[in-house]
Amino acid sequence: MASGTVSITIKLFSALREALGESEFELALADISEASAQVDVAAVKALLSRRGAEWKEALNQPNLVHALNHKVVFTDAAVSEGDELAFFPPMTGG
Amino acid sequence: MSVGIQSEAIDIAAEYAQLVGDKPGAAVATFTGYVRDHTDQHAVTELELEHYPEMARKVLEDLGQSAAERFGLSNWRIVHRFGRLAVSETIVWVGAVADHRGGAIDACELMMDTLKTDAPFWKREQGPAGTQWVASRDSDTQRRARWQSG
Repeated sequence: MASGTVSITIKLFSALREALGESEFELALADISEASAQVDVAAVKALLSRRGAEWKEALNQPNLVHALNHKVVFTDAAVSEGDELAFFPPMTGG
Repeated sequence: MSVGIQSEAIDIAAEYAQLVGDKPGAAVATFTGYVRDHTDQHAVTELELEHYPEMARKVLEDLGQSAAERFGLSNWRIVHRFGRLAVSETIVWVGAVADHRGGAIDACELMMDTLKTDAPFWKREQGPAGTQWVASRDSDTQRRARWQSG
């Protein structure tokens, strides 16, 4: 990502990270707003789902958790410059 | 009133001493979780814990704080490990100090029930058949739900 590009950070964990082969990358906000009227978690999922069948399947599993800036959110949460958006399966600590 | 997230073994004696300090409250409760050598289906030889460091710290700090407010704790501590863990090693330790036993015990239960579903840690088990990610359990979600009302 070129410096100065307005972007958000995407993080993937656990089985999702393994299935998609990536743990962290930047996503340009312009690409999200170009693809969707609402710049929210759902739009990010839709954009990333275009990367291929594995992405579409992994990001659309019913129990997927989304955390925006370290807080679990619903898909209608708005994303903006500098945000950190993480996707992962249900947590199994303790 | 703090959180520890670490790869090294939990020193329970040191944690307890630190929790209680020079002036113990009237009631101290702790819980320690260890790596089991089996699940409902198969044997387990090793556990690997992945975590999301920044979020895990925030979730556990918020959890300790909310338990403190709810049960009037004078001190609390949550320690959770990550990385590779052998069978019988400690995974998690929580402690609470309160005026009465009910508050201390309930606080430990609240912290454990909540961290299992809300703190971003993921277990992967190693067994005779290979490795697999541990699936979340409905029973954990149900235990977590007990604390959402009342």
